[in-house]
Amino acid sequence: MIVGTQKPLEEIWDMIKGFRKVLVLGCNTCVAICHAGGGKEAEILASLLRMKASLSGVETTVRHAAIERQCESEFFEPVMDEVRASDVVLSLACGVGVNFLADKAGDIPAFPGIDTAFFGAVEKAGIFKELCAGCGGCILHLTGGICPVARCSKSIMNGPCGGTSDGKCEISRDVDCAWYLIVERMKKLGTLEKLFEIQPPKDWSTGLYGGPRKVVLEHITAPEPPEKGKESQGGM
Amino acid sequence: MKPQSEQREAPSIEKPHGIPDGWEPNILAFACHYCAFAAADLAGVMRLSYPASVKVLRLPCTGKLDYIHILHAFERGADGVFVAG
Repeated sequence: MIVGTQKPLEEIWDMIKGFRKVLVLGCNTCVAICHAGGGKEAEILASLLRMKASLSGVETTVRHAAIERQCESEFFEPVMDEVRASDVVLSLACGVGVNFLADKAGDIPAFPGIDTAFFGAVEKAGIFKELCAGCGGCILHLTGGICPVARCSKSIMNGPCGGTSDGKCEISRDVDCAWYLIVERMKKLGTLEKLFEIQPPKDWSTGLYGGPRKVVLEHITAPEPPEKGKESQGGM
Repeated sequence: MKPQSEQREAPSIEKPHGIPDGWEPNILAFACHYCAFAAADLAGVMRLSYPASVKVLRLPCTGKLDYIHILHAFERGADGVFVAG
């Protein structure tokens, strides 16, 4: 899932205070799980903004809505009337959702209400941890299922650096050394010898360093070929 | 699919102003049915009184209380919210 945290109220207020009709639009998937931008958070933020507007002596209408995902067109349909009726939409989706909404919202500005942080998992209630960096070249089968790109502070590809100490990273005692975890896990799996295999240099161009990425599934996007019967009819 | 956009019209929020003489705060008390509300009931039986500006709202359990209920209380003019459970 994508993990984010809500921006401070003052920062959000600075963005939207010049607008009269504000729609706070939640996203009920990833950012709802991390309590940052779901429908519930949208309702709470809308309430806080109404009170902030009143205390600031500004006449502002703040409404809220939420859809299941702000990264797919289909889900926007029920709220597009509300979007069009607004002066600004404060999206509580991740950056993907805000970008996508901006494309759909025409001349209505779409502003971010959360700071999108990373791809992560729920370690336990209230704790979210980065586990994948979306580098576009997965090597988890070689590293015991533990990603050195995301979980090593230096994204080192060939073992721990000199900063490892008692299984912890030199940047903080709260950060596990990913390579310590990899070695321990591979020992447990009996696959430690895999680490001795020489790997080619990692191709970082498949990550963000290679520019914006796109996946195209031609079997889904390509137009269907005309049916044979119809084609022959057309030719006659 | 439900748009989840159903919502009440935004209530009109009181503008900030000075405190008039004789002002008493509006307090909304959320009370658990099984403990605090029963205690309030007992207080009534004992003829104990509390200010009329305190409104008691019974909940099946204060675990039901959410942030938004407290925020709505403030939006609708409560000066303080008291939760007992």
